[in-house]
Amino acid sequence: MGGSLVRPVLLILSMYVFLKFVVPNIPGSAPLPSSLIFLYLMLTTTGIVIFATLSRESKDAFFAPILNFLTGENIGAMQAARYGFLILFPLLVGWQTYGSTATSDAPPAENRTIHPAPPGEYTGLSNPVSKTPENIMQGKGFYAAFCSPCHGGKFDGKGPAARGFNPPPANFSDPTTIAMLQESYLFWRIKKGGVGLPIEGMPWKSAMPRWEVELPDEWIWKIIMGEYDGAHQSPRTWE
Amino acid sequence: MKPANQIRQWVSGVGAVAVTALILSGAAPGLAQESESVSVSAPMVKGTLPVDDPNAAVWSTAKPAKFPMSPQVHWPNRILETTVKDLSVRALHDGTQVAVLLEYADPTEDPDDAAAIEFMVGDKKAHFAHGQPMAQVEGGPVNIWYWKNKDKKGVDMNAMGFGTLKVQTHQDVKATGAFSNGTWKVVFTRPLATEHPAEDTQLALGGFINIAFAVWDGRKDGAGDLVEKGSQKAVSSWWYFRAEAPPDYSGYYYAAFAAALALGFQFVLIRKLKKGQAA
Repeated sequence: MGGSLVRPVLLILSMYVFLKFVVPNIPGSAPLPSSLIFLYLMLTTTGIVIFATLSRESKDAFFAPILNFLTGENIGAMQAARYGFLILFPLLVGWQTYGSTATSDAPPAENRTIHPAPPGEYTGLSNPVSKTPENIMQGKGFYAAFCSPCHGGKFDGKGPAARGFNPPPANFSDPTTIAMLQESYLFWRIKKGGVGLPIEGMPWKSAMPRWEVELPDEWIWKIIMGEYDGAHQSPRTWE
Repeated sequence: MKPANQIRQWVSGVGAVAVTALILSGAAPGLAQESESVSVSAPMVKGTLPVDDPNAAVWSTAKPAKFPMSPQVHWPNRILETTVKDLSVRALHDGTQVAVLLEYADPTEDPDDAAAIEFMVGDKKAHFAHGQPMAQVEGGPVNIWYWKNKDKKGVDMNAMGFGTLKVQTHQDVKATGAFSNGTWKVVFTRPLATEHPAEDTQLALGGFINIAFAVWDGRKDGAGDLVEKGSQKAVSSWWYFRAEAPPDYSGYYYAAFAAALALGFQFVLIRKLKKGQAA
């Protein structure tokens, strides 16, 4: 007995090894959450059972060793493994139940939206300041004075004042920040600051100042030009 | 039985156990990971709460949470560099009162050295900068517990926006500081619950509430003026605070019940299978 189970067991084990250890190492991939691995293993198991029960003969061949293992009939040296399984199964069920019912020590999960939708009046605005080297240079000067303490002299979000803030100041050299956004979006964020964010942006946590009370619009537009130039990024456009 | 057959049996038997374990454990929540400090946890002490003793031995039973500090650059008057870069926080409670110990490095003891703890009050979120108004979110007030070295006491305050900081008419907070070898230890104490839920944060056991910190180094510059004062201070972001509830063993009871059910299921199943095989 047992021979017909070797291949399914090996298949499921290989599937687990593949999902857990191989997939995360594929370029551009990421580690799979355990719930997804569980789902894939269940699908694999379902496929194996469907395949094994296509005919009466294959069904008997598949289930007979399982039934024999559970009842302990004619399994010889497998008795030890059987007892191990019979002890392990209730323990695993208990462990699983404990994990899902015990009180958690983790603080509430926070799903903060990093780039929430801007208010209508800020969509599609174009920068009214002409992109001359002088204006860009002036924008970089304003950036150094007002923005670099947090966003960093290298536009990398690692300014000397950044470390205590959560969420951390944006890293403009990261292609997922200002390169994904239009200039009008930056204008909104700089002007209204953290407190201007909608609820999904968790405005109560942001240290971004509301610069509209301190800087004229023209300076803000120049800062935006300086930021893109300094971080070697281009604003997103619809073309 | 042939040896080859025996080996195959072992492979499939052990494999079946392993696969079951994998599938079951795959669905189980991951083991608790060593997390960075995002929360201060206050365990319950059985003996006396060290309400005015920053050096009491019982503090070592509370796990320290470490938070980075930034100079306050969010609103004027700003400051671009502050003395205190990190803060270590421990907390304890005795079911009636809570005690929070702030610990930080400061090279010199000055009369104007000061520290503060800020909490949100009630269900509404409040901005970490003194609960200033937010454009699209109706915010709530913040409750601030303040201590200054030369005053030798705690002050219970509220704010809801810049320039609205107000000392409460009812003072529930006590604070004591001790300076030694370039380190400040400051203990704040207050009853877990007060009779003023609109002004005072209420610390329900087991619940997470938002907490933030501020520290002022009271050193003076060459002209004799304070370098860190008012809004010019070291600040933290919002983190979490929890006064731990008494231990809850219900998870163990549920687990024992589920394991017993699984055992019973196995027993009935195998009995039925054996009857079927015999027939």
